[in-house]
Amino acid sequence: MDRRASLATLFGKKNTGSKTGKIDKSNSGFFSPLVVQSGLEAYNGPWEFAQAAHLLRRATFGPKYSEIKDAVALGYQASLDKIFTVSYPTEGPVNPGFIPNRNGNVPINDPNIPAGSPWVYKENGEWKMGEFDPSDPVNFQALNLYRRLSLRAWKMERILNDTTILEKMTLFWHNHFVTADINDPGFEFRYITTLQENALGNFKDLATKMTLDLSMMIYLNGNENTNRAPNENYARELFELFTIGKGPLAGPGDYTYYTEQDVQEAAKVLTGWRIVRFPRSNNGIVTLESSVMTTFRSALHETGDKTFSSRFNGAIISNNGEDEYKDLIDMIFNQDQCARFLARKLYRWFVYYEIDDTIEQNVIEPLAQIIIDNNYEVEPALRTLLGSQHFFDHINTGPMIKNPIDFVSSTLRPFDFEQKAPQDITQRQIYFLNAASYFDDMQMVYFSPPDVAGWKAYYQEPSFYRIWINSSTLVARSKFTNQVVMGVNDRGRPSPYALDILEFVASLDNPMDVNLMLDEFVQILYPRDISQEQKDYLKGVLLPGLPDYEWPLEYGDYLNNPDDPDLRDGVLTKLRALLDVMLGLPEFYLS
Amino acid sequence: MKRRDFLKAGSASAISVPVLLNGLSLNILPKAGLLNYFNLDTDKVLVLIQLQGGNDGLNTVIPLTEYDKLANVRSNIIIPDNQVLKLNDDVGLHPSMTGLKSLWDNARLSLIHSAGYPNQNRSHFRSTDIWTSASDANEFESRGWLGRYFDTQYDNYPDGYPNSENPDPIAITMGYILSETCQGIAANYSLSVTDPFGISPLLQGQGSNTPDEPYGWELEFLRQAIASTNAYGDVIKDAANLGSNMVTYPDGNNLAAQLKNVALLISGGLQTKVYVCSIGGFDTHSAQVVSGDTSTGIHANLLEQLSSAITAFQQDLQAHGLEERVVGMTFSEFGRQIASNFSDGTDHGTAAPMFVFGSCISESIHGSNPEIPEMPENQEGVAMQNDFRNIYGSILQDWFQVPEEEIRSLIFADYVHMDIVKDCNKPLSTTNAENLNFEVQAYPNPFVSEVVLKFTTKKERVQLALYGTLGEKIETIFDRTLSEGSHEIRHNGSKLPPGNYYYRLQVGDQQVTKLVIKQ
Repeated sequence: MDRRASLATLFGKKNTGSKTGKIDKSNSGFFSPLVVQSGLEAYNGPWEFAQAAHLLRRATFGPKYSEIKDAVALGYQASLDKIFTVSYPTEGPVNPGFIPNRNGNVPINDPNIPAGSPWVYKENGEWKMGEFDPSDPVNFQALNLYRRLSLRAWKMERILNDTTILEKMTLFWHNHFVTADINDPGFEFRYITTLQENALGNFKDLATKMTLDLSMMIYLNGNENTNRAPNENYARELFELFTIGKGPLAGPGDYTYYTEQDVQEAAKVLTGWRIVRFPRSNNGIVTLESSVMTTFRSALHETGDKTFSSRFNGAIISNNGEDEYKDLIDMIFNQDQCARFLARKLYRWFVYYEIDDTIEQNVIEPLAQIIIDNNYEVEPALRTLLGSQHFFDHINTGPMIKNPIDFVSSTLRPFDFEQKAPQDITQRQIYFLNAASYFDDMQMVYFSPPDVAGWKAYYQEPSFYRIWINSSTLVARSKFTNQVVMGVNDRGRPSPYALDILEFVASLDNPMDVNLMLDEFVQILYPRDISQEQKDYLKGVLLPGLPDYEWPLEYGDYLNNPDDPDLRDGVLTKLRALLDVMLGLPEFYLS
Repeated sequence: MKRRDFLKAGSASAISVPVLLNGLSLNILPKAGLLNYFNLDTDKVLVLIQLQGGNDGLNTVIPLTEYDKLANVRSNIIIPDNQVLKLNDDVGLHPSMTGLKSLWDNARLSLIHSAGYPNQNRSHFRSTDIWTSASDANEFESRGWLGRYFDTQYDNYPDGYPNSENPDPIAITMGYILSETCQGIAANYSLSVTDPFGISPLLQGQGSNTPDEPYGWELEFLRQAIASTNAYGDVIKDAANLGSNMVTYPDGNNLAAQLKNVALLISGGLQTKVYVCSIGGFDTHSAQVVSGDTSTGIHANLLEQLSSAITAFQQDLQAHGLEERVVGMTFSEFGRQIASNFSDGTDHGTAAPMFVFGSCISESIHGSNPEIPEMPENQEGVAMQNDFRNIYGSILQDWFQVPEEEIRSLIFADYVHMDIVKDCNKPLSTTNAENLNFEVQAYPNPFVSEVVLKFTTKKERVQLALYGTLGEKIETIFDRTLSEGSHEIRHNGSKLPPGNYYYRLQVGDQQVTKLVIKQ
């Protein structure tokens, strides 16, 4: 049975198979299977608002109206180029001077980093960080806390300011090489920066770097892996989740692409690495790469030969000291399966979750080939995918359920939320932390994926993206949009996080014509047009029981007297009602 | 009224009550009277507790008969034998599970030894899929085991639900991620509930035609999810308001908070059949115990939370007089290896014990202690004794009255019934005491070429298979019906490489594993 047809059976459609047994696979053809034939050939169709919006929605977070219109004007090739023209941060999060607290702000006493300065920054190509004394537990906790909070605020601010593919790919890798809940902001910063600086780089290099990454060493017990006591946790996930992927169980302990034996032998290859802290410097500023390092201890390394299974043609890795782990990475990446594994993950991140035989043949396989031809460089493959006929196939516009970060960004960015952030640094961090805090109830917290496989929506059959949605997360999403539209906080009081809807409407092409204005709302907020019936309903929310011509009168009155609070509130109240409904409709949940 | 005032006033309520596009005209019975409608024969509730990460069974249920051998291979984490909470002379619980021990003393707890499946998969994700779908290790089944059962009970779900016959959610997941156990053909039967009082109506959108392609399918899915949330939100809130908790649950215990809400909803009259709860953190590769004080540490804390949460829940049900309606069961995707690692932890393994709790439970111990070899092989796990699909099937059969034949087609073709739960309304059966002393002899052991297995049966089906130390099924040796009497089966193992092996013998409803060593 065509996978797409079986999905239709599973979800959208009435059950036609037997209800008592397994899904009736003989019943194929009942739903005409939708086979998407388009492949990786360069897109050559029209370049209009719909296509530009699709590219920006998938490759960036919550594009603005102006950004989409700019992309239309730029054209297809230049828009792609622009998305890939990334710039990397040279400064990390800032010491805000205060830790926000329920009872007011607690001052921060960071001995080496004055308030208002970043606690980590790049100098002469090296990341430097202000160190602090771990033996002073009270101050240590405070500094650790402010840095972890500021890191999360900083990440949110960067996401909301990125108009390139960089943050989306960084999150992709965070979901791929997962670490979570590492209670050390320096480790967290290095981890996410390594991912970011390699986000468009080389998959194999990144796997090599991640193998010794400090957060990873802790998260998957690499730090405890010794010749006397091999710990197979990292080795197992290196195969299963990070590089080659798990195939069907082909025999005892044999997962088609690797075996239990390979897990054990790889664990031995990786023995001997330890996190080591080096002596403190004099001026209190340390170089990230040399203050704490994953360091090779040959006495803890298993020196015997490691013999791999027939899945790796019985390869033997002999003792090669601190370079031995690279031999392991080489061995794994010599298998083309790694490229297929990555190609499918990229597809599910940027296109859709369902991969049928035709897509496997027309998209995944050639994409994997591009990855192989480029020695695991990611950017060429990614450019090809995002510029392809398949990506712009109408069938692929709209069916992606937004993840929470996309959902929040696509709510806030079109209204220039990030540009309204307070200048005061403490207030600024609170502003972005609050925006990020909505992720908790929506179940996607940055720096805290639920487990080593990442967020379920990207791997759990058969539901995939639908896993984001249930009665609890629906309530959380609706509460969020309702609060920012209405400008209220959890307790129903006015909050500073209100979307500036009047400014948004003023930036539209046709704010004076209610029908054209609604069309623009739909274009900006929804992946596809909606029915006239739905538009009529929305108009009824804006102008309950009133004729169309009342809108330009009301809105014109306000424009002529912008300082009249009555006029402004009248218009604003109606626009809020409209936007509240529009952001609450399921169409807004799709990209 | 001036037009402007009208515009302003028009949506004052938009903050708290979004406009509903679809009316919620549901024909729902008045909740207050619902308790009178309960039929104790059929209104059974199953509570599943998933221990996420793979629980170390050998430090949860300690086989005292194997203690010395365990002490050799997990010396850095083994619980001191004088601290084990003894259930009998042979087996006991981790010392932090005093609550479960008290349930045991009051006949509210039973133990299933070494539950698993052939050809154990040691991936968290794949093995969780297998446990939630009850599939074979090499079969992909997208529906959950309960979802498949619900598919036979609720036509066309979720279309037309809730309705007057089924006003309440069929199942509830007490968390944010719907349990795969309840995935049916067209939808997941479980509703996510984190705050029973906090489900508020949402916008659904109009039922305009959606295209028959992924965009339309996802849109339909979203509309349906919103409709279900709206439709069930009120009944859940009503039940939460009507229900109560009559005992104090432990603080800072997430599982206890989940079970507290389950008790609240059951006591409030909700007719939901299945609640799925979960507790994470069992993937204890390192620092499972505090070095030098092995009865404390991460694993001890987890087991304490599990034990105290279940105990409070059971007491709550008892105080409400609801004990006979509810049975609970724990499961985890796998057990851990017999030998500990040097990080004071344990790595992914094979079979592990399960707990069943409630007042309507049958035998207190299912199966026998796992046999621990003197010299476990590399990565050796606990051999599977009780196939978990027999456990699921028996609960469906005895708790939800699913016919045996249907269980064979739904869950497991080789299904064998086990006495796990009993119908409390029926007089106590005098159980099958004659079966309890089922003995299998295997000799010589260690062996070089041939093993003789000796046992006595009634006239019944006998299945014999050989397993390796990773849980892999090496060979099905024998599967037919034998006459009543004593039997010998000879198995030629001369070609096997030296090492540890397990014969798994299933005779009628007895499932036994026997460790043999090939020299």
